[in-house]
Amino acid sequence: MAEIRNYTMNFGPVHPAAHGVLRLVLELDGEVIQRADPHIGLLHRATEKLAESKPYNQSIGYMDRLDYVSMMCNEHGYVLAMEKLLGIEVPKRAQYIRVMFSEVTRILNHLLWLGAHGLDIGAMTMFLYCFRDREPLMDAYEAVSGARMHATYFRPGGVYRDLPDTMPQYQASKWRSEKNAEQLNQARSGSLLDFLWDFTETFPDHIDDYETLLTENRIWKQRTVGVGVVSPERAFQLGFSGPMLRGSGVAWDLRKTQPYEVYDELDFDIPIGRNGDCYDRYLVRMEELRQSNKIIKQCIQWLKNNPGPVIAENYKVVPPSRAAMKDDMEALIHHFKLFTEGFCVPEGEAYAAVEHPKGEFGVYLVSDGANKPYRVKIRAPGFAHLAAMDEVARGHMLADVVALIGTMDIVFGEIDR
Amino acid sequence: MLLKLKQFFDTFFLVELLKGLSVTGRHLWKQKITVLYPEEKTPMSPRFRGLHALRRYPNGEERCIACKLCEAVCPALAITIDAGPRQSDGTRRTTKYEIDLFKCIYCGFCEESCPVDSIVETRVFDYHFEKRGEHIMTKAKLLAIGDKLEPQIAADRAADAKYR
Amino acid sequence: MGTVTIEIDGVSLEAETGSMIIEIADDAGMHIPRFCYHKKLSVAANCRMCLVDVSNSPKAVPACATPVADGMKVLTNSTKARIAQKSVMEFLLINHPLDCPICDQGGECELQDVALGFGNDVSRFTEGKRVVQDKNIGPLIETDMTRCIHCTRCVRFGTEVVGMREMGATGRGEHMEIGTYIEKSIESEVSGNIIDLCPVGALTAKPSRYKARAWEMQSTAGVSPHDCLGTNIEIHHRRGEVIRVVPRENEKINEVWISDRDRFSYQSVTDSERLTQPKIKKDGQWQTCDWETALTHVCDQLNNIKQSEGVENIGALISPSATLEEMYLTQKLMRGLGSHNIDHRLRQVDFSSQFEAPMFPGMEFDIDALEDMDATLLIDADLRREQPLLALRLRKSTRHGRVMSVHSGEVENNFKVSPNVSVPASDLLAQLQGIVAALIEQHKEVSAELTELFVDIKPTPDQQTIASELRINDNACLLVGQSALEHSKSSHIRWLAKTISDLSGCAFGELTAGANTAGGYIAGALPHRLSAAEESNICGWNTQQMLQKGLSAYLLMNTEPELDSSYRDAARVSLLKSKFVVMMTPFAKGEFLDYADVLLPIAGFTETSGTFINVCGEWQSFTAAVKAKGEARPAWKVLRVLGNLLELDGFDYVSSQEINAAVKERFESTTDARVGHFQRPDSLESGGEKPRPLSMYDMDSLTRRSLCLQMSVQGQDNWRRDQIEHLVASQSLPETESPDSLINLSASSAESETASLQESSDA
Repeated sequence: MAEIRNYTMNFGPVHPAAHGVLRLVLELDGEVIQRADPHIGLLHRATEKLAESKPYNQSIGYMDRLDYVSMMCNEHGYVLAMEKLLGIEVPKRAQYIRVMFSEVTRILNHLLWLGAHGLDIGAMTMFLYCFRDREPLMDAYEAVSGARMHATYFRPGGVYRDLPDTMPQYQASKWRSEKNAEQLNQARSGSLLDFLWDFTETFPDHIDDYETLLTENRIWKQRTVGVGVVSPERAFQLGFSGPMLRGSGVAWDLRKTQPYEVYDELDFDIPIGRNGDCYDRYLVRMEELRQSNKIIKQCIQWLKNNPGPVIAENYKVVPPSRAAMKDDMEALIHHFKLFTEGFCVPEGEAYAAVEHPKGEFGVYLVSDGANKPYRVKIRAPGFAHLAAMDEVARGHMLADVVALIGTMDIVFGEIDR
Repeated sequence: MLLKLKQFFDTFFLVELLKGLSVTGRHLWKQKITVLYPEEKTPMSPRFRGLHALRRYPNGEERCIACKLCEAVCPALAITIDAGPRQSDGTRRTTKYEIDLFKCIYCGFCEESCPVDSIVETRVFDYHFEKRGEHIMTKAKLLAIGDKLEPQIAADRAADAKYR
Repeated sequence: MGTVTIEIDGVSLEAETGSMIIEIADDAGMHIPRFCYHKKLSVAANCRMCLVDVSNSPKAVPACATPVADGMKVLTNSTKARIAQKSVMEFLLINHPLDCPICDQGGECELQDVALGFGNDVSRFTEGKRVVQDKNIGPLIETDMTRCIHCTRCVRFGTEVVGMREMGATGRGEHMEIGTYIEKSIESEVSGNIIDLCPVGALTAKPSRYKARAWEMQSTAGVSPHDCLGTNIEIHHRRGEVIRVVPRENEKINEVWISDRDRFSYQSVTDSERLTQPKIKKDGQWQTCDWETALTHVCDQLNNIKQSEGVENIGALISPSATLEEMYLTQKLMRGLGSHNIDHRLRQVDFSSQFEAPMFPGMEFDIDALEDMDATLLIDADLRREQPLLALRLRKSTRHGRVMSVHSGEVENNFKVSPNVSVPASDLLAQLQGIVAALIEQHKEVSAELTELFVDIKPTPDQQTIASELRINDNACLLVGQSALEHSKSSHIRWLAKTISDLSGCAFGELTAGANTAGGYIAGALPHRLSAAEESNICGWNTQQMLQKGLSAYLLMNTEPELDSSYRDAARVSLLKSKFVVMMTPFAKGEFLDYADVLLPIAGFTETSGTFINVCGEWQSFTAAVKAKGEARPAWKVLRVLGNLLELDGFDYVSSQEINAAVKERFESTTDARVGHFQRPDSLESGGEKPRPLSMYDMDSLTRRSLCLQMSVQGQDNWRRDQIEHLVASQSLPETESPDSLINLSASSAESETASLQESSDA
């Protein structure tokens, strides 16, 4: 009798469905997974150590680059932790702006996830449609922060700048008629809030389209239903959070269970799944898109009616305005010191967590009273999810691994940090 | 029973697939959202953070006074400045101002920190390097970019002045 | 004085009666903001920043000027104190210009720190600010008087510490200005300290102007190479270049001060032309070569001369500011070759008592003991020129004690000296003999021989006073100055001084040249002694003999005998005449280009590790702050390799610490601690002469090459100025270079602005 041995193979790190630099060592019995061993660290940039080597405010930009598809949510966790230590008040308007952009980010993230997940298991069209919808949101990112992805927009005490009153417009040119440009500019004629409002008006229809394409689709269902089932108990034990946890039927969402910013003033629901399989997690995320849309609408309405400061007026932490800096000695000194030395944070430790599109994103800060953090620990949701790969994938077929990676919504920026 | 029948019917006649195809079919006739890059570009915010430039005052004097705030605040340590008194008039000036574009993370802190609006980030985002070492933006290069784009830079700063 | 108990911010503290609140708070590590208060200066209480809330006082009181009282309760952070501090800060900032971005103090500015910590965050002041004209106070200190907050630290430093009232305040209120009354340069030799004292950017260092920000610099502890005190310094450097030198606090040596030459001499290593590669002279032309070639050449030549002329025709001269390690290795190298012609006593003229010298010439008491002296006699000492910080110490003693001086030539002191006997060099001996005679007169039990010797001498009233002051006061000392050693009868002077000390019971001290004369003695860089003062069987030639009689080969260790020694003319002749001169120097330019045959580049004082032993016998080791320029290497490494190439034993050291340990072991195992037993001469001598003293910034090769020091007042009256190689000024800034190649911007369309930018670069 021939000797039968399990077959060990590498999945990634250059596999297009490995979502970045995941190297999965798979032990196969035929096509059935016997063991899945994720190898990480190929995108390790020592963000935590880097943050410990520079003043607090300088690390905001590095938070963007953790989970690089939900940029502002990462910043959110970091600035919340800083604010907790500093004990500063954030103006209401800033809180609303942050919540609005957190939800914009959630839509951005879920759209990318949907597109990529679809692409992975054979739905090519999704990718194009989702990127189309990401475009206005990227424009909104750019309009407030100046960058389409790595915004560096949230600051301890609020956000850097208020929302702009105008949006940049399409110009008529050799390739674009006057009429066409005008048509494109319709949504851009007002402020950023109008622009986003316009998006929220049309977006639910787009979600419907996506659902028409996928939800009942037999291939989609064959690839996802019953794949990667996680029981609620195991989900808890494995440290799942976000849609991974809710897909298993646990109603746990930090926005509801420990509301931060103004989430307690907003009306939204938390979708949960029943079976804990890839299909349920897909449904949960689709519903989250609708709920985020709803939250953004509420924020826009509030923000339109409530002008005001968007950053705390505490110049010991927040740099003064440029106008003040240029003709006011106190302001200049504070500007100078804040941009060279940064601010000193009182001794202590703080953990702040946000409901990140992928789950609970937490930042644990330890301060020794200096201008640099003594220790920064980042709790990345994807790390716990990826750790469960072995358990979830065991017994499935090789092709299901792709669906599992997709459903876990893995981004290596945050896992490797 | 009725539900079972409907399910069978749906499955047999590929209803959900046809529904999906109708979505894609409709999109066929919709207006294209793409633009003819690089001939045409999507609209850009005045806050855009792209390639750096050093500005001058209208009288041609360079703005930078070598205060080194940008160097200090740069999280990526991409900026290197050497300073000293300028020979002609003894004012504080840079003798070397370099930005390593491979290190830069385009966070915009340098622009935020600049007390004289000298270092700015322009709308230019599509550039490339052909030779080794070209990624180091020297003072001369940065000033040249500033000179070239000054009208646009000034307009963008003016448009955003009330928010900063 | 008794102690009282006070409470600061709820913490109970013991305090000495009469001390101020701020001192107690500082000792307890509690920070009270201040500008005008400085622990080394008198209390002015004019900045009002240190206002604190004291129980039973209706108003906030300045912590620097309020003496403690029993049961006093002080709150530094109460509402009352905070409001007071905020108001003061607001007033201070009203007239402060918006200069932070262009101010050198930015980042290390007390005003910034206090404003951030204790001030308001927005200004309510919208009116115009005052402007004060800047003063030109010389090449060392840059002024920006608009930034001045009138703390008067610089004024008080001048009047209280230096004793020269150079800075002062004119005008009142808003019109108050700090300046030099009339436009002139600051003349003090310790003026640089006002840069450190100034809490704002009104007084900054001119040589390092705009060069670096405080946060960019790294700091390495060092020891000043200029005088025998071993002043502690902190070398600040950035990217391998020394930017500035600031004091390192050491209460026993330099308190918190350093002299200007300690502060600015780094310029010689950073700005003057440096030797970066070994050079060999071939047919009168200098040619650069690599280390191996140069060192082999040196070995070959030395061996040749050893063969042909005899080893006694080779000699080494070492700078008295060389490190202990360098001195030790040089003498080891020479003795390994077989020659005993080694000396570091370049300025000494009279070597007749060298066998009676102590382990090393130095002070029997600590430097900080000087400020408690009730009577001090200076014998031919020009402290301000030779050991400026010692002058500051001694000045402190004049508050209660008396300083007396017997010297030749003109000496300016910054404290009261009485009697102040100034005589020609030839009369110096007679003066001292007079003092001894006066002591013998006043004394009961003096040996008959001594009485016999001085029987003919009739002391003058001044000599009587000096003698009785030294005798009566328990806390008395005498200091033999550095220039007394240059006297042609210096052995006799030493004996006389020692006799005065013995008869009067006062402490004895000798001040020495360079930073490391003590190290030179201990390392054995002497013709007649091995290291740790072991008597040598053979006595080699001393400096005088080497330079006046001439040798065939010289090894010059970081010294330029034609400038450094007392035999400059003879040195020139002998060096030019000699067959082979090896010059170890950090510098590329100098007269040595004419007489040397091989130039070995060695590290400057900021670039080498080593040890200085100060005049009190304190061993102070330091590390290199920056890497030596070019191919230059620390001198100890060069000597070590030279030793290997000459195939000598005991040259296997891998670090300067190892060399140090070797010397230290020998030093500590010496059993017969040599006390200088100066033999009583058979008869009294008279007459004698002294070479003209070197001016302050002409004493070593570092100060001679430091441009800003040469441009200062003391530098300008260097009497050999024309001979000092003039250093071309200015660290000239390269003008903006033309854009060589602009960045390539994607150039796919002629209409896009980015593409047109590409065109501009091509154009």
